[in-house]
Amino acid sequence: MLKVKISQTTPNPLQLNIECTPGELHALVGPSGSGKTTALRTIAGLNNAHTGKIEYDGQLWFEAKEISGVSTSLSPAERSCGFLFQQYALFPHLTALENVCIPLYNSLPEVAKRKKLAQQWLERMGIGELANRMPNQLSGGQQQRTALARALARTPKILLLDEPFSAIDAPTRQSLYKTLAELRKDFDIPILLVTHDLREADLLADRITVIDQGVGLQTAPPQVLFERPRNSRVAELVGINNKFEGVFTAGKLTWNGSPQIFNVVDKGKIPPNTPVAWVIPAEGLSLHSEASHSSIKAAVEDISALGQVAVIQLRTIDGGHVITWEASAAEVKRLGLEPGKVTHLEMDGDKIHIMPLRPINDPRRFSN
Amino acid sequence: MFDLEALILSLKLAIWTLVLILPFGIWVAHNLRRMGKRRSWIEALLALPLVLPPTVLGYYLLVGLGGKSFFGIPLVFSFTGILIASLIVNLPFAIQPIQRAFESIQPEILEAAQVSGLSHWQIFRLIELPLAWRGITSAAVLTFAHTLGEFGVILMVGGAIPGETKTVSIAIYDKVQSFDTAGAGLLSLILLGTSLVAIALSYGIFERPRSPSKRWEG
Repeated sequence: MLKVKISQTTPNPLQLNIECTPGELHALVGPSGSGKTTALRTIAGLNNAHTGKIEYDGQLWFEAKEISGVSTSLSPAERSCGFLFQQYALFPHLTALENVCIPLYNSLPEVAKRKKLAQQWLERMGIGELANRMPNQLSGGQQQRTALARALARTPKILLLDEPFSAIDAPTRQSLYKTLAELRKDFDIPILLVTHDLREADLLADRITVIDQGVGLQTAPPQVLFERPRNSRVAELVGINNKFEGVFTAGKLTWNGSPQIFNVVDKGKIPPNTPVAWVIPAEGLSLHSEASHSSIKAAVEDISALGQVAVIQLRTIDGGHVITWEASAAEVKRLGLEPGKVTHLEMDGDKIHIMPLRPINDPRRFSN
Repeated sequence: MFDLEALILSLKLAIWTLVLILPFGIWVAHNLRRMGKRRSWIEALLALPLVLPPTVLGYYLLVGLGGKSFFGIPLVFSFTGILIASLIVNLPFAIQPIQRAFESIQPEILEAAQVSGLSHWQIFRLIELPLAWRGITSAAVLTFAHTLGEFGVILMVGGAIPGETKTVSIAIYDKVQSFDTAGAGLLSLILLGTSLVAIALSYGIFERPRSPSKRWEG
């Protein structure tokens, strides 16, 4: 298992505590400049953090203490990480085959054996016939497949992927996702993926760590992260649209600017009268043409049809809160929704997730 | 009269200069990247021969090396003397193109080599050197051509001893002084031809389109 606990304030702030088990694909997600790539480079040994520890299966890769400075730091070569770069970073003077031969240079001194194994790797990536092409004669997807073959040829202990799909067109990206999914079956190693694309992380990762300004805010499986973000910033970063503010006291949640009070499960983690942010996932919302005792009156402001899905923007009559709701085109038709129409919105209190507006000073914050 | 002796001496000087300066130039250019704050000072010092009048440089070399010897060989008015002068004069021509070539290698390429498990020496040999090849060729061609044509420093440090320090440029000057315009013209034509070939080489005019690498097997 890979264990990473690193922290620094300069040049880029970083405070991260993650673990990645063999076979797990762990995504580091955050906006540009949030420190995800710095974290990945630190794990590979291309940067050193000021303090912290990086361990792989009990082997110490890096350790630095505040007072004594760096005490241990294995070189990137000694750490044995497969690293996939955003811009592929293929050696431009070598063919695809020779590129894959490079990581085998020390383990297989015989040229013929090296070439044979490299060829097998290229074939496994589906580009065996392109072995003699120079990198500039390959498309982006083919270059990334070559780079993936190069990263894996050394049978690394961990695989680090730094935004590997962001420079590639959408159809090629889909086929690379498939290749990665197939490789995961054969490689029982920790895989860390850095991406700014939440959908990509949701699709590929077993767990996601959300990073903002260098700080790991929350680590959770994708579903948990989207349903129960730890705080307001995480909710914002994972793109939750329906986020509101209120005050929580013993199972009762008020909605700022609205008379509505929701019954929410009290887990005893939030002190009474705490200003909170709260989110409700799409499945907690429903629209009805008839009013009920718990429904909220809301007017349709806008309907954007995106193929078979429509995004409906509603504004509550009491309070003027904006709510976004996604529905199928058929559902929109059934409810007769059109801009200006007043409808009745149900919000399921059981699905509401509340979180402190400002992060509570919780020592577990970086350790989940 | 065609001065073959001067031509052979010039070629000998150019080849020796090349053999000695290229490894040094590669070493300096490669290490300049890691020199931090001292780097600008060293770069400025290495570029000094570009702007310093050759007679000034020659004067200091004459004063500095005069009366000294290297294993019994005097360092002024000797081939060794003009070789030392030629090495100093050519420093910027040898170092700058190689330095630019090393600097144009993307840092990611070197990081990819590091994570591929190569040692520093292997990265240098298998990745950096082949990628900087164009710059090294350019440095070699410029140094060679520049040495053939060097005049001021050579005259100051070496004088014009036939077979020892009288290079083609000095021979041309001598011939003009003695009204041998035909001899001067022929030698000038040879230097013009050499310079044209050198410039063509360093601008890649004779280069073939890129093909798969043959320099490194697997």
